[in-house]
Amino acid sequence: MSVSVSKGKRPGGNLKHRLVTTVRRDWQLWILLLPALAFFIVFCYFPMYGVQIAFRDYKAAFGITGSKWVGFKFFEKFFNSYYCGRMFANTFLLNLFGLIFGFPIPILLAIMLNQLNHKRFKGFAQTAIYVPHFISTVVLAGMIYLFFSPTNGIINHLITAAGGKSIYFIMEPGWFRPLFIGSEIWQNAGWNTILYIATLTSIDPQLYEAATIDGATRWNRIRHIDIPHLVPITVMMLILNCGSLLSSNTDKALLLQTSGNMPTSDILGVYVYSVGIAASKAQYSYASAIGLCLNVINFAIIMLVNAVSRKMSDISLF
Amino acid sequence: MTVMAKKKHGTRVRETKMDRVFNAVNLVFWIIVLLIVLYPLWLILIASVSDPEAVLQARVLLWPVDFSLMGYEAVFQYSELWGSYINSIFYTVVGSALSVIVSLAAAYALSRRFAGKKLVNLAITFTMFFSGGLIPIFLNVVNLGLYNTRAVMILMNLVSVWNLMVARTYIQTSIPNELYEAAVMDGANHFTYFFRCVLPLSGTIVAVLSVYYGVARWNDYFTGLVMLRDRSLYPLQLVLREILASLTSTGSSDTFFAAYADNLGGLQEALRKAEVAKYCCIVVSTVPAILLYVFMQKYFVKGVMIGSLKG
Repeated sequence: MSVSVSKGKRPGGNLKHRLVTTVRRDWQLWILLLPALAFFIVFCYFPMYGVQIAFRDYKAAFGITGSKWVGFKFFEKFFNSYYCGRMFANTFLLNLFGLIFGFPIPILLAIMLNQLNHKRFKGFAQTAIYVPHFISTVVLAGMIYLFFSPTNGIINHLITAAGGKSIYFIMEPGWFRPLFIGSEIWQNAGWNTILYIATLTSIDPQLYEAATIDGATRWNRIRHIDIPHLVPITVMMLILNCGSLLSSNTDKALLLQTSGNMPTSDILGVYVYSVGIAASKAQYSYASAIGLCLNVINFAIIMLVNAVSRKMSDISLF
Repeated sequence: MTVMAKKKHGTRVRETKMDRVFNAVNLVFWIIVLLIVLYPLWLILIASVSDPEAVLQARVLLWPVDFSLMGYEAVFQYSELWGSYINSIFYTVVGSALSVIVSLAAAYALSRRFAGKKLVNLAITFTMFFSGGLIPIFLNVVNLGLYNTRAVMILMNLVSVWNLMVARTYIQTSIPNELYEAAVMDGANHFTYFFRCVLPLSGTIVAVLSVYYGVARWNDYFTGLVMLRDRSLYPLQLVLREILASLTSTGSSDTFFAAYADNLGGLQEALRKAEVAKYCCIVVSTVPAILLYVFMQKYFVKGVMIGSLKG
């Protein structure tokens, strides 16, 4: 602001003058913003407007607003459907177990990495743990199928070599969650350390020095310096993660779902895809209703967790 | 420098017995972690250059067995795979270039003060937490006439809110505001300042965004699965899905391999080769993404750190 004043012909110009300068300068910002804004409007907000088909009996011929309004019919249909409870439970449990087992590991990795002395080895370790993140979901699923194959997968060869019985992992309902979450951890735990490592490297080295002089061991330094510094970012990540307790990694689940593991792999995201897109007679309104349900619940959870966290710890996303 | 060195020396002298135990434990911990991370990747690599029988009998554990390149020779024949490979290169290069430009321009705008910024910020952040859902997004694409076109593969996921925020934070923290003030003094407007000052100073963040967007696009199969019908438009990952899908109970992708039986010495032979060819497909499809990361890695870690510090 000060710049525009000093640049103006009349120093301390009146409001109108300042407004004119602002507009004259800011329109360029809007131009720079325009492509991104257009994307969000067309690909994010148009669909939000279109979500009303969840309350209508959508027929392509009548369009979105022309289709008949049916209120909560499809929501009722969904909540009364036979597998509704099972799908909610599966989705929730998959995410919950994923959070319980997956969330602490990146923090542990970041703390341990920070304690490595050897610079070259540290650099190598950091580079290496990021690599699995760059593998695609399709390839990851392919690796699971290859390694855990009942006939010629390496895991089952090891099991039978040790005298055990071969397990058909991908068809066993009991193995869906371990495979899904385990591969998730393998792929992303390293990558998810980034934020924590960034936080740890921003700690003032003098703190460590002072602690060392006072006789703190490495363990003491982790306990009294690293962990307290990691609390805010950890809470923020936890809030963010809670917001996806009912969302699903649909693309991955779709690849790992088989006729055998349906009792545990039947989750909401995949169901929306199957009835809304993959089915030969797609039920757009019904699938939209389920999707909307999930999004509203997820949104409510994140708001709730955020509010609770703000009350209790002063840490919040917004 | 000398002070630093002394201090370092000082801490090392102070290492207690407890610390040495801790260091040993930490080293063992990292060796185990690295084994878990890297061994599966190594296994893929050695299986891809081994003999099919050895792979099927799980004799390939540490080193290639009966080294052969027949898997790669077979993969070379899969013309549909290579067609989709070219599609994926197109989607990735064009799409990511567009994504980076659009994101950077928007990130710059959001790093400045202007009337209405709060509202724009709110509207963008909101999309992170709420979306119309799969079906409305799909119908929207159909209504726009983009279903089953190359354009939808470029325009879907054009801007990621997260990347936008990383870029904005980077610009805010690493390009001093004095530079802007000086440029304005010299008569620069936002366009000239953005193109002649911000862009040249944004090498790191361009590298980071390229990797983020590039890898996400290269690895995405779901957009293609939902938005495309013509096989000629398929991205690599969709074809890969069919190849690797023979591993499922349905056994559907034998048809994929069978299509190339004539060039590979008969059906029996084609299916035999397919056992290693699957590993080779994983290698040829994954190497570009990992290479991109390794080459960009120098800028990458630094840039992500800067961007995420206040993100």
